[in-house]
Amino acid sequence: MIHIQSILNAILSKDIFEYILVDKTLNIVNISSGLDKYIDKMPQAGDDVLEILPELVGSEKEIQAIFLNKSLNYILETVYKNEYYINISIEYYNKDMVLVLLHNISDITLSKQKLLQYSNESVLLNTTLQKILDNQNALLFVTNNNEISYTNEQFMQYFEMKIIADVRRKDLKIYDYLDSNLKSYDALFERVNSKEEYVTINKDTFILQATWIETTHKLFTLTKVTKLTNEMQTDTLTGAYKKSYFNTHLKRMIQNKEEGVLVVLDLDNFKNVNDTYGHQVGDDVLREFATLIQKNIRGDDVFARWGGEEFLLLLQHTNIDNAMKKIESLRDVVSTHTFIHIGHMSSSFGVAKKEESDDMHSLLQRADKALYEAKDAGKNQVIFKKI
Amino acid sequence: MIRKKILLLGDFSVGKTSLVRRYVDGAFDDKYLTTIGVKISKKLLTINGIECELLIWDVEGSTPSKKISLGYYRGASGAILVSDITRRDTVKGLEEHKTIFLNENPDSEFVIAYNKSDALSDIAKENIKLDEDTFLTSAKDDSNVEALFLRLMEKMLA
Repeated sequence: MIHIQSILNAILSKDIFEYILVDKTLNIVNISSGLDKYIDKMPQAGDDVLEILPELVGSEKEIQAIFLNKSLNYILETVYKNEYYINISIEYYNKDMVLVLLHNISDITLSKQKLLQYSNESVLLNTTLQKILDNQNALLFVTNNNEISYTNEQFMQYFEMKIIADVRRKDLKIYDYLDSNLKSYDALFERVNSKEEYVTINKDTFILQATWIETTHKLFTLTKVTKLTNEMQTDTLTGAYKKSYFNTHLKRMIQNKEEGVLVVLDLDNFKNVNDTYGHQVGDDVLREFATLIQKNIRGDDVFARWGGEEFLLLLQHTNIDNAMKKIESLRDVVSTHTFIHIGHMSSSFGVAKKEESDDMHSLLQRADKALYEAKDAGKNQVIFKKI
Repeated sequence: MIRKKILLLGDFSVGKTSLVRRYVDGAFDDKYLTTIGVKISKKLLTINGIECELLIWDVEGSTPSKKISLGYYRGASGAILVSDITRRDTVKGLEEHKTIFLNENPDSEFVIAYNKSDALSDIAKENIKLDEDTFLTSAKDDSNVEALFLRLMEKMLA
């Protein structure tokens, strides 16, 4: 026992360990003098060790077992006590006592804590940023060598994918949706950078934007045209698009040299409706007419109100023969329809096919002239005007 | 007097230390300081006429790279499994904490705290499924903290 005590004293002189000797009733027999730095009130011989070290509550059986077996020990690591971090270990001392050692590990633990704090804060920040990114519009990061390096959750959900490898496996190319002539994300970026483009994907309209992220990545943002945006682009009376929205599609078709047909259409003798039945009925008729047209065109055709009873229709990605069949069927649908307040009405259509030399103005002018010719020819007509 | 050891278990930064601080000291500080190791607090209380000393083990949170030392679980009569209701992964993680705790202490009781409820709207709170052992808590606005500890004590003394 003297031998152990001298070893203990040697260790304790380095101020690393403090000790408590405890008997089988878990009462204190002896303590080292420096114990008070861990415990507010200095314990006395005979005190219950569980009062002094409540950390040992629940481990009474394990401690009792040490009295019976020299090779057993009990260790409780990294306990914060009175502004110190300590390890508590219990070892056999003799058949009547066990030795409780309190090892000051504050220095090393505080270093660990700094690292852990930094690491945990980084994880929290990363999680927060991830949440923010996932709640944005669909995002796509592309590297300088045209490889997709990141897509957010909105993007993955829309395209029904789970991991980024799916994007590569399915060979998804966003630029194909905008213009089949584009061959890479570099080309898409050149086209979209510093402006907006409307792109239709699976019958949904998105605003596509692009920007640099450092010099190594390009970020493409796809903003789905929401109900609110739709409302901003829609004529409140008829539900047809506004001319401004129509113009973006018309402009794009011309810029991209896509095939398409422009139609200017109106209701024949509409002024008489207003004069005879009043403007309220006139509004109802316009609404009914617009609904009728919308129901009978394709999802990617663009139908807009130009003003008064005049409307515009853009039939994209179609040739003139198919377009004429469609327009003739629209004329027929209108003329055979029974309008709620006034019965039958007819409509006239001026048609122009987009040619290579056309700009927005020339194409609109030709279709408008064709409409006048349809009126002059007796109304309820479809007139196609060549260049 | 009865002595009971209980653990607060959960992922890192879910608010375990804040719950203990609110319950024991009636205080709150929203600065995040990660816990390392374990810190034990005492609380004396009387339940149904029985005097109890509650030894509350505020155990360090598990992190993706660091699991909790099993030595801390020894001899616990109960546990409060804590998650941050604004972090879905910490709610999912409760199941693992429960499994480990019950493996080490099969006859023990536990309750669940969906903490940081102050960050939720009233509508969001209404949509969260609770029961008599699951509480929406906030150490920040002192919501359900007392009830959480009390419920665990009642279960342990039953």
